[in-house]
Amino acid sequence: MAESSEGEEEAKLTGGNQHLVVDDDLREMAKKAAWSVSSCKPGNGVLSLRDDNLDTYWQSDGAQPHLVNIQFQKKVKLQLVVLYVDFKLDESYTPSKISIRAGDGFHNLKEIKTVELVKPTGWVYISLSGNDPRETFVNTFMLQIAVLSNHLNGRDTHVRQIKVYGPRPNPIPHQPFHFTSREFITYSTVR
Amino acid sequence: MQLGQLERSCRCIISIEAMEAILVDCVQNSRRHLLYRNAIFICERLCAEFPSETNLQLLAGCYLQNNQAYSVYHILKGRQMAQSRYLFAISCFQMDLLNEAEAALYPVNDPSTEVPNGAAGHYLLGLIYRCTDRRKSAIHHFKQALSIDPLLWAAYEELCILGAAEESTLVFGESASLCIQKQHLHHGVDYENLQASNEDHNLVSGGNFGSEDVSPRKFKHMNANNVRDIPGNYHGGVATGGAASQPLTNGPANISFYNTPSPMATQLSGVAPPPVCKNVQPNGPNAGLLGVEGSPRSTVNSTLQAPRRKFVDEGKLRKISGRLFSDSGARRSTRLAGEAGTNTNSNPTAATGNGASHSSKYLGGSKFSSLTFRSVTVRKGQSWANENFEEGIRHEVYDDSHSNVTTSSSSPSGDIRSFEQGATTMPMGGVVTSGSRVISGASEILALLRSLGEGYRLSCMYRCQDALDVYLKLPQKHYNTGWVLSQVGKAYFELVDYLEADRAFGLARLASPYSLEGMDIYSTVLYHLKEDMKLSYMAQELISTDRLAPQSWCAMGNCYSLQKDHESALKNFQRAVQLNSRFAYAHTLCGHEYVALEDFENGIKSYQHALRIDARHYNAWYGLGMIYLRQEKFEFSEHHFQVAFQINPHSSVIMSYLGTAFHALKRSEGSFGDDGEGYFSR
Repeated sequence: MAESSEGEEEAKLTGGNQHLVVDDDLREMAKKAAWSVSSCKPGNGVLSLRDDNLDTYWQSDGAQPHLVNIQFQKKVKLQLVVLYVDFKLDESYTPSKISIRAGDGFHNLKEIKTVELVKPTGWVYISLSGNDPRETFVNTFMLQIAVLSNHLNGRDTHVRQIKVYGPRPNPIPHQPFHFTSREFITYSTVR
Repeated sequence: MQLGQLERSCRCIISIEAMEAILVDCVQNSRRHLLYRNAIFICERLCAEFPSETNLQLLAGCYLQNNQAYSVYHILKGRQMAQSRYLFAISCFQMDLLNEAEAALYPVNDPSTEVPNGAAGHYLLGLIYRCTDRRKSAIHHFKQALSIDPLLWAAYEELCILGAAEESTLVFGESASLCIQKQHLHHGVDYENLQASNEDHNLVSGGNFGSEDVSPRKFKHMNANNVRDIPGNYHGGVATGGAASQPLTNGPANISFYNTPSPMATQLSGVAPPPVCKNVQPNGPNAGLLGVEGSPRSTVNSTLQAPRRKFVDEGKLRKISGRLFSDSGARRSTRLAGEAGTNTNSNPTAATGNGASHSSKYLGGSKFSSLTFRSVTVRKGQSWANENFEEGIRHEVYDDSHSNVTTSSSSPSGDIRSFEQGATTMPMGGVVTSGSRVISGASEILALLRSLGEGYRLSCMYRCQDALDVYLKLPQKHYNTGWVLSQVGKAYFELVDYLEADRAFGLARLASPYSLEGMDIYSTVLYHLKEDMKLSYMAQELISTDRLAPQSWCAMGNCYSLQKDHESALKNFQRAVQLNSRFAYAHTLCGHEYVALEDFENGIKSYQHALRIDARHYNAWYGLGMIYLRQEKFEFSEHHFQVAFQINPHSSVIMSYLGTAFHALKRSEGSFGDDGEGYFSR
């Protein structure tokens, strides 16, 4: 699995992990979000993106670009987007060019990342970190994943699963840093 | 002809009574052997055949032991006997119908009724009041329970939790010692009835150690002048018993404090001849039947029967009582006087084996003596009513002695069988009976309870270091038990010394691997120490030990929480709450998980739920403080941390958070200046 390069340049991603492996300090954010898609075929709707089942998929049914919108109730820090796509199964339905946009709502989305997938077969990790090493996450109300084009020029796309990750909240509020040593963590809270 | 008819009807009645007696015996046998299904079946037949409230109480006891509180609710609803009210209250309490339970124990429209079952009734009432937030009343009743029965540790525990316990030296002190001695020496009937679990057969209802319940029943049966005698005897009193025995005994008259002689079983076995048993009819509840039985005989041929019976009775009584009083009187006086300093004849056969019988026979003996005295005098009066009265009384006495004699079952079947049974199986559960031994035994028990009580009280007040010092003074064999070690572990936990807590809890698990008490705290300790292996192992063990204990699910939840799987952790804690909604820590842990999932609203609800159950649960106060800190409501958070700190001033973590709150409020002069350094301070 190739690492994506920083910034908004296009990056090529090939391969794909069969197993989803995420750092311990990240957690899935999307449970509290509202998910919607630009179009879908009946029976292959947005639920299939969130059902933890890799056999079900979302199939779009309209003009490109196909959009997946993720809206949060408050600004959240997001760090990582992971998609499961499989060229071997979906061939021309496999997305090839993906653009990730963030903003406060539909009116002011701004693209923060673009990747190009080359025959992916599994989990594809797309990091949202900015160029600056201090910008590890993007703080936003809304995230939009746009499928701009598919492999073999397919019109519609299949995506089997999407997960969005952000950092865990600091167990000690109003503290700008996280404790890292075990001892400090042990005595840092009452349970 | 008349005699023939009489005999037939007598036999019929006797067989009916025998049937009831046999059924009762069978039920108690089954209960003793923990065969509850059998007990319930037979008891239901018993109640169908002989519907009486006492039999219903027996059935209720069977149901309760089989975890069928709802059944008890239905059969005992509205019943007014003391034991019925008590059992009904227990079933309501188990079904969470607290107001009905309270009404049964303490009827609103009749506040003068006595609380049934003395100490146990007061304790139950205290629990009800505590569950319904009436703290003062709860404290009052727990104190009452303790004053009646100083060995009711559970009441002292509740007082500690409520923060209203007196020092253990006061509670488990001199007065307690006297109380125990008094109870123990009048022990017999109570003990037996206890063992036969809550039968309101004669005088004493189950679970009652005090002599109080005995007296009221007695009152019902006594003439006014007799009443004075009996209580006098009970309260270690003076000469009435002795006086009664004077004409009948050739033993020494200068008997000290407890001069109520009791029959010697081995002698009785020789003495218990069939004719005696004819007079002695079975159960207390059948005392009524007794009257019935007596009357046909008497009414048919009163002139003939009465005098003959009288003669027989008197003769037998004389014989028996003579034996009783001569020997036992001396023996008892030797024992008791041993410390009182008077010297009397000592009977060489005063073996300790028989000593056991003495205490048990105490009650029987005392009544016996005074009754025989009365029977001697009253006979002269020759009134039929009196005769009946005495019959009833005497039968009660016999019943007592029978129940004392039979170790296992107190089913007063009142026949030779039980008598001899009792005779051969003498010592009841090793009950110590001689006065000095009771005193020393009591004082040892009280010394132990003093230490444990003081330790528990101090740890409830979060004076953990003092509590630890007290526990360390315990003898090794008590210190190395699950309960004490987990209290020690808990104390270290409150002091934020997780390593020592881990050690203590580890030892506790070795000592009692089946005990779940305090294991929820241990799981939190392991959570803090990030020992995921130990924690998951322990959680698995706990669940396999008891799936229905909230502590097991708390441990499992902590396991998931350690792995940052907060949703599963929350599910586990919610399961713990479902299993026991009055388990405050489960609510607090739910709150922590909600906060980790950033669901502050539910978090606040959970913490408040925990505080409703236990207002001194400082973890919940801390949790609320943390939420308000995150929401930047600094005033609120400072208040909550302040309360938590006041409850447990030794927790450095709370101290540092309090400092954080102060700092956020820009009140640096109020802070302790140890925001960061507080972590390792002790």
